[in-house]
Amino acid sequence: MNGTWSDPVAWATLAPLFALAGALANGLFGRRWPEPLPGIVAGVAVAAAFAVSAIAFVGLIGRDAGVALTLWSFLPVAGLDVSVGVVVDALSTTFLLVITGVGLLIHVYSVDYMRDDEDNARYFALLNLFVASMLVLVLADSLVLLFVGWEGVGVCSYLLIGFWFRKKANADAGRKAFIVNRIGDAGFVLASFLVAATFGTLTIAEVNAQAGTFAFGAGVLTTIGLLYLVAATGKSAQFPLHVWLPDAMAGPTPVSALIHAATMVTAGIYLIARLSPLYAQAPAASAVVAWVGVLTALIAAIAALAQTDIKRILAYSTISQLGFMFVAIGVGAYAAAVFHVFTHAFFKALLFLAAGSVIHALHGEQDVRRMGGLGRRMKLTGTTALIGTLAISGVPLLSGFFSKEAILGGTWNSTLVEDYGSRVLFVLLLATAGLTAFYMFRWYHRVFAGPSRLTKDAAAKVHESSSLMTVPLVLLAAFAALAGFLGLPSFAFPNWFKGWLAPALAQVPTLHPPLWVEWLLVLASIVVAAAGLFAGWWIYERGKGAIAAKAGGGALGRFAEGGLGFDAAYRAAVVGPAEGVAGGLAIADRDLLDRGIAAGVTGSSLIGRAVAAWQSGYVRLYALAMFLGLAALAVVAAVVGGRP
Amino acid sequence: MIAALMVLLPLAVALALPWAKRPAVHRPLAVLGVAATLALGVFATGGAGSLEIAWVPALGTWFAVDATGAGGVLARIAAAVMLPTVLWAGARVDDRPQVFLAWLLATLAGLVGIFLARDLVLFYVFWELTLLPALAMLAGWGLTHRRAATIKYLLYAVAGSFAMLLSVLAVRPLSGAEGYRFDQLLAAAPLLDPLTQTWIFAGFAFAFAIKLPIFPLHVWLIDVHEQNHPSGAADVAGTLYKVGGFGLFAWAMPLLPEGANALAPLGLALGAFTAIYAAMIATRHANLKRALAYASLSHMGIVAVGLFSLHLAGQAGSMALLAAQMVTTGGMFLVSGMLHDRRGTFELEAFGGLARGAPALAAATLVVLFASVGVPGLANFPGEFLSLLGAFQSAPAAAVVAVLASIALGAFAVGLYQRLFQGEAREKAREIKPLEVAVFAPIVALTLWLGVAPAANLTVFEREAVAAHAAAAAVAPPADAQASGGER
Repeated sequence: MNGTWSDPVAWATLAPLFALAGALANGLFGRRWPEPLPGIVAGVAVAAAFAVSAIAFVGLIGRDAGVALTLWSFLPVAGLDVSVGVVVDALSTTFLLVITGVGLLIHVYSVDYMRDDEDNARYFALLNLFVASMLVLVLADSLVLLFVGWEGVGVCSYLLIGFWFRKKANADAGRKAFIVNRIGDAGFVLASFLVAATFGTLTIAEVNAQAGTFAFGAGVLTTIGLLYLVAATGKSAQFPLHVWLPDAMAGPTPVSALIHAATMVTAGIYLIARLSPLYAQAPAASAVVAWVGVLTALIAAIAALAQTDIKRILAYSTISQLGFMFVAIGVGAYAAAVFHVFTHAFFKALLFLAAGSVIHALHGEQDVRRMGGLGRRMKLTGTTALIGTLAISGVPLLSGFFSKEAILGGTWNSTLVEDYGSRVLFVLLLATAGLTAFYMFRWYHRVFAGPSRLTKDAAAKVHESSSLMTVPLVLLAAFAALAGFLGLPSFAFPNWFKGWLAPALAQVPTLHPPLWVEWLLVLASIVVAAAGLFAGWWIYERGKGAIAAKAGGGALGRFAEGGLGFDAAYRAAVVGPAEGVAGGLAIADRDLLDRGIAAGVTGSSLIGRAVAAWQSGYVRLYALAMFLGLAALAVVAAVVGGRP
Repeated sequence: MIAALMVLLPLAVALALPWAKRPAVHRPLAVLGVAATLALGVFATGGAGSLEIAWVPALGTWFAVDATGAGGVLARIAAAVMLPTVLWAGARVDDRPQVFLAWLLATLAGLVGIFLARDLVLFYVFWELTLLPALAMLAGWGLTHRRAATIKYLLYAVAGSFAMLLSVLAVRPLSGAEGYRFDQLLAAAPLLDPLTQTWIFAGFAFAFAIKLPIFPLHVWLIDVHEQNHPSGAADVAGTLYKVGGFGLFAWAMPLLPEGANALAPLGLALGAFTAIYAAMIATRHANLKRALAYASLSHMGIVAVGLFSLHLAGQAGSMALLAAQMVTTGGMFLVSGMLHDRRGTFELEAFGGLARGAPALAAATLVVLFASVGVPGLANFPGEFLSLLGAFQSAPAAAVVAVLASIALGAFAVGLYQRLFQGEAREKAREIKPLEVAVFAPIVALTLWLGVAPAANLTVFEREAVAAHAAAAAVAPPADAQASGGER
């Protein structure tokens, strides 16, 4: 497993350095560069990272073991011997390709999208810094270095959400994301402490190897699994820490596509996949992962039904799709989870960039109630968005169909969480898949189809975006359509993706029901997708949205639109009390502790008089007091201590 | 020999500065003095790194200094942070700048002495001497309420010094050590019976707890920072002077392992409480300097937690955190001076939107501020992570509380950044100027270096902790079970 630089696979180590160099160049000098040089420099950096990732991918095909490289010692303390080192294997390389590949397209798109922004260079510096951090996260060979990337992407996310910081709401959204993520990070840190205490190491490969020797279901593995789950719910916006992601839409739309759809939010799935040998030994923790996932998927899908902001609908959709991935990773269908990360990266990045194209054309308009019919004026954007919509809805042969089917089948056939209601999980997830098709149809229809609800001014200015923005859309649409064929249903067809990832993931036994059951599961997911789309058509095309308007105006509609009341509840139950306690402590510290001690001390007359005396020349008197103290030391030492 | 020069050189410059007649030479002389001290520190390795000469043989004290251990690392970093500080102070202090600079150099001399001393009496002398410049800068250059702050500082310091003096006086005669040199004491003090050790340790710990500081002995710190000269330079000196953790690590804990054992639960509890208590208060403060003071108090709580874990990772980590906070907390106080330059106040309500006029200042501040709250890849993280990791091994509850503090500290950092730099500016802020760039450069460089490559320093810290544990185990075989709990 130990590699050397002569192995081309190891060159993937350079990927984060390329991105970091791009970030530094833009951060230090970009402000003086003529536009579009900042974007070009940033794009070239990511292209270089993509190139070494692709080399690693080619080099790894047909090889079982990955390549590990230790760079320098980091925390050589108490036998932990944590190094800065990388592992390039099938799992990390899959993520490398997604991050740099989708990342490159989004950089290209950004060149035009951010063309008129005065802080162009800051934008590209942060985008590159994000890519560098994310690459560190997926390449790390230890949990400590993984955490370096983990918090690095959090910081970049924070800065990019609040990119337009002059508006308070944007800065607030960034702050909220950072604090919620910090709550999750506390789980990460505590989990790592427990790992160190249990295994005596923080190197991922050693942790996984040792976890395999523990008893199935050992309590400590469950605890570790649950603590890392806390971290994953923060970063991947899962219940109950999902509340930051809808607000994160305050950032520029390409940021939403890259960070808050395709890459960073999948870090939680990556973490658990990376530790899959540990989770495979911890069925209770895995079951909690799956249940968190299915609850999140359902909650977010319901919230998505009622949103009116073109990006917020997609944000809730992302939360919901991440929930699907959590179910997969919880039931032990690790390859299916990563496969959905892979396909989702294409169709969700596509949907966000299409939304960005619309927002661009409408000069900042984001309310779908003032859109409609745009597909006729923006043919490329509309067509690619349709492909994305159908892919996420699970229309057969598009990528989302295959990855979602793999998750549903994996849930039905799970042995890992068989005792924790795997069949109920399946039913809830299937229903959510139907909701997904419905709310995505609604999204597409409100934006691109039906009659135009644009103001006259806006309608006059609508235009298709430039090719810098549409070429990425077309490429992403191609992948969103075709990527699924890499992972055909494995009960009947060759599944290349599963085989490729197999060496890097734990293998959990699954149930093998009769073939007709497997086909029935496929049929079920086709039926719910069709039903969801049909219901959308029935309500929004045929019924002109009248029923929806009525439902949306009711109490339930408002409840869903407000994200099911989580923000309000947290404000009342957590934020308010915490601020109250902090404020109370601040007052107590000054008025009780400080004044109390002062009163106690100065109250005694002796010290009071001493203070009065000192007030004239305290420093000199202090010198005198110190001299006397030293003299005392000398005398006492001489008398008591004596010579040896 | 070089180690001794590290103390004497800044002292000599400090004594010379007030006599320098031409104002133009004040700042270059001070900067040169600090730079030369730092250079000496770099070369103070191997045989040149330590010196031992009999000082007052009748007392059994030695002029013993050593720059090759943990103290050497801290002394070098203190000198490195002092470099931008004198650069900044020389330009920002208008009233008798040469005297102010002299006090800064005197602080450096005292600090180097504290860190390098390998004789307990020598350590105590430097410990006390360093208070003089701190008081002088506060009393001479502070704000309106400086008098009250000075008296409060003085009272706390004297109380701590008195307790430590008693312990210094007691430890040698009671243990029958041959002298006050560290190795002489180490051969005898750990043999004392646990109760005696506990009392002597308590005297040291009281002084060190005031100097760390930790709750409830911290109230002097807040006022001192608030009332110091608005340049922030004196605050940096004060931050470097937070040597209580070092005193515990280098003196009290190795010499009195049983005392440390006995008081560890108290130290862990107070440390963890300080961490979360101060971090929460920091989120609510409307005054920049008071907020920074509380945030730095929170770090000190984590230092205490790491030390009192009595675990190798925790103890080595706490020293790394101490070194890192010199850079990052010190750096933030320098930033406070730059911000005061722009708005003429420390009240946060006067700020907002500075990132628009001063994006480079915002970016540099962000690096230092985020480093100070433990963002990985930057200075504080290795020390903070290991302090808490060590605490988790011996006292999980304390570690959990202290980890929760990191959430509050994160909230503090983004809240502060927003109030300073984000939002709409009332007036356009001035962008960073060359002097400020020069001040930032070493701070940011150290922040990155300590965050990316902490291994060399950690190795030194751990070596010293291991040696202390081993010495305690060798001297007192039956009572070593807990003291060496950190070894795997």
